[in-house]
Amino acid sequence: MRSLREYIRLYFMIEAQYIKGRMQYRSDFIISSVGMFFSSLATLGIFWVIFDTVPNLAGWSLMEMVFIYAFYMIAISPMQILFDHAWQLRYHVQQGTFLKYYFRPLNMMFYYMSEIFDLKGLTQLVTGIALLIYASIQLHIDWSLWRISLLFIALFSAALVQISIIVAASCAAFWVVNSYPVLGLAWKLREFSPYPMSIFDGAFRFTFTYVIPIGFVAFYPSQLFLRPQDVSSLVYFSPMIGVGLFAITYWIWTKGVNSYTGTGS
Amino acid sequence: MRKYLAIVRGTYMIGMIYRLGFLFTIAGNVIYLGVAYYLWKSIFKNSETLRGLTFDQTFLYVGLGSAIFILLKTYTDWFMNSEIRDGSIAMYLVKPVDIGTYFLATSFGSLLMNITIVSIPTILLLLFVFKVKFIIGIGLLLFPISLLIAFFISFFLDYFVGLVCFYSESVWGLSTTKDIIVTLLSGGLIPLQFFPTALQNILHWLPFQAIYHTPLTMITQPDQSVDVFLQMIFIQLVWAVLLFMATRLFYIQAIKTVRVAGG
Repeated sequence: MRSLREYIRLYFMIEAQYIKGRMQYRSDFIISSVGMFFSSLATLGIFWVIFDTVPNLAGWSLMEMVFIYAFYMIAISPMQILFDHAWQLRYHVQQGTFLKYYFRPLNMMFYYMSEIFDLKGLTQLVTGIALLIYASIQLHIDWSLWRISLLFIALFSAALVQISIIVAASCAAFWVVNSYPVLGLAWKLREFSPYPMSIFDGAFRFTFTYVIPIGFVAFYPSQLFLRPQDVSSLVYFSPMIGVGLFAITYWIWTKGVNSYTGTGS
Repeated sequence: MRKYLAIVRGTYMIGMIYRLGFLFTIAGNVIYLGVAYYLWKSIFKNSETLRGLTFDQTFLYVGLGSAIFILLKTYTDWFMNSEIRDGSIAMYLVKPVDIGTYFLATSFGSLLMNITIVSIPTILLLLFVFKVKFIIGIGLLLFPISLLIAFFISFFLDYFVGLVCFYSESVWGLSTTKDIIVTLLSGGLIPLQFFPTALQNILHWLPFQAIYHTPLTMITQPDQSVDVFLQMIFIQLVWAVLLFMATRLFYIQAIKTVRVAGG
């Protein structure tokens, strides 16, 4: 077992080499960043158009929605930047190139995910931070030291929820090889996390809260900052939900890695 | 013509192999329909009609929009990019086929497959689970024609971006930007009626509205006069022809840049 410090040092070394390699394709970086910028603002565009017609959405104002959306953009960034290799898992599994990850004296998930550091995701992170600052100034949220630390904890947990959902979906590749449909579904669900969960009822709210808890990626945790007075106790459990989900995902990954025998190609 | 029909048939059959995938696509669409249902229900909470549309019309527009979205997304630019990258595009150049028509044929094959597997279930869901009421009118008859022209417009846009791949290896950014612009500004996500008026005026001069807004209007507001619809179809045709010519001219230029090493 290597220590955490050693892993962090290794991670920086791997990414430094990766970024040097990517720097050959400067125009790709610029065009991809523009694409990322537009795609990350798509759902916000929907909200903006909706608020041209109605003054509020289930009691939430446009600026509150911007805050939730900014929280969402920051929360999904670690998944985009650090875990983007999840999308290629199905190719590696199909082509048999996944075998190489078994032969290094490193944690396999660490080694696999470290192979890609998605630079274009940084655009999303920066846009999200800018929007969050803008919205919290407009909403006069006062940031005490306690609330800032709460923000970091909430973001950390929300990011783990999102990472867990995507990585777990990509693990389907170990059993059905082509995990694209599963991943595509998980990816689509991600877009619903900034919607106010209060507009849903019955099965939908239950699913988004307990089954595939995308509500915890943005809507529930941002209530801690927007309307701290009427937060349900469920929200305070969200840090544990993030860690718990990641543990389950890691267990699925380990299962998959152990049962994978190659496709014969 | 016959050889391209064989390609259409081939793509249809290949698509049918991956049936498990469709379960997830349909599941995704059901969830999307549910989210859209609740979202628009809460927007229409205090009003019967908004921007001249009732809740039923809006939900039909958005719900059917999602079904059409799966039909009209051809992914031609993504396929072309991977084939240009690995050099297999050269295989088309030595075969007696026209690349543009080849990709048109494969896209049409997947269109037919998606109608069978995704669009029909979605329409049945809309009818029997969400109990959406259709208004009867002449527009319903013209809808298939309009949808077919919309497919051509969507294909030519995708093919155009695909041709850009001959020059740039960065297709992710280009295609993503195009996809977002097309779906947002075409009415694929929100009925165009809901956009601010100034923006609507601009959007009516762009080709994107001819992809989703035109066919969806024929379904959601079919009780207008025939002249209105014929004019809409005429505008669609103009865009289809213009984009077709643009891709032809661009192709003649782009094909000169092909350098395939090995492949």
